[in-house]
Amino acid sequence: MDGLDLLKKDWEKSESKYPKLSYDEIYKMILKKSSSIVKWIFIISLLEFVFWFGIAFLLKGTSFSGKMEALDLDAILIPISIVSYAVIFYFFYLFYRNYKNISSTDNAKVLMENILKTRKTVRYYVIFNLASIVFGAILGTYYAINHDPELIEKIQQATANGDEMMVYTIFIITIIVMLAIAIGVLVLFYWLIYGILLKRLNHNYKELKNLEE
Amino acid sequence: MNTELEHSFVELLEKHQNIIHKVCRLYTNNYDAHNDLFQEITIQLWKAYPKFRGDAKFSTWMYRVGLNTAITLYRKSKRRINTQDFEGVSFKIKAEEYDDTEEEQLKLLYKAIHKLNDIEKALVFLYLEDKDYREISETLGISEVNARVKMNRTKTKLRNILNP
Repeated sequence: MDGLDLLKKDWEKSESKYPKLSYDEIYKMILKKSSSIVKWIFIISLLEFVFWFGIAFLLKGTSFSGKMEALDLDAILIPISIVSYAVIFYFFYLFYRNYKNISSTDNAKVLMENILKTRKTVRYYVIFNLASIVFGAILGTYYAINHDPELIEKIQQATANGDEMMVYTIFIITIIVMLAIAIGVLVLFYWLIYGILLKRLNHNYKELKNLEE
Repeated sequence: MNTELEHSFVELLEKHQNIIHKVCRLYTNNYDAHNDLFQEITIQLWKAYPKFRGDAKFSTWMYRVGLNTAITLYRKSKRRINTQDFEGVSFKIKAEEYDDTEEEQLKLLYKAIHKLNDIEKALVFLYLEDKDYREISETLGISEVNARVKMNRTKTKLRNILNP
């Protein structure tokens, strides 16, 4: 007998050997909570939205924000705020729509695609936030150099001493290093969380996709 | 909670529970993992049940949700580690039904199946359940031709393990 025939025979014979769960045991199971990766992705994504939203609020209350206000940048800051909030809500809407599309009754490939799509939305959202931070830092630096009386005075002093380039260099390097550390920490954090959470899914998705190529 | 819905679901599941046990058998290695996956598949089925349309067969629908849970949705529990391997323990057919060679072959086969990747396991499962290529392709979301190609490769892989 071929090995696979034997396997099939054993498979059929095993039919009567499986544990038999009672009505009550199954009933208890449906009351329990799922621990699927979709649930984890949902929780983590929500935390990400809250985190970035929170950062926007926190920045508002800081001395940095006060300084920005002193620079009278309303004409620029108000449209930027409106656009960024609109973008946040748009991302959240996309995320929620994609999340709702995840269905365990789709075929395996579509299910995986929908999960990955949901994740992609949040990833774009994070990239948007990181880009905003970089853009904000550049804009802030530009305005500070040109409008912050304290800094202008320091630069003038340095110019008088012939250290102008030195001050600019220190200033720019400090900003770049701070941004690099912040982005580095975030990237590492993402790589860890999603690397672990989505490793199997990515692997299986690749397997199915390779079959179709 | 809609108790009528709960009742009809639990009753159907009780009747068809072997499908879930069989998925768990291929995707897990021990009792705890088996129970864990069984639980998660049951929850996923229950969550999807309100949208279950009577025109599809309950068992067919279960195959899809069960495999999707095992392949994609399920997060392996930590409890899985350090527990006793149960292949050949729980569902074993009495030894006297097979001769020594067959017994040895079966052991090797189940061991080999557990080493396959998740997609290959799904193919073996659907093959053992006598599903045709149309259903296999619809369950996994690949074309019938590719399902056939991959199935043959997986079968060859298993045969090679028996006859190296």
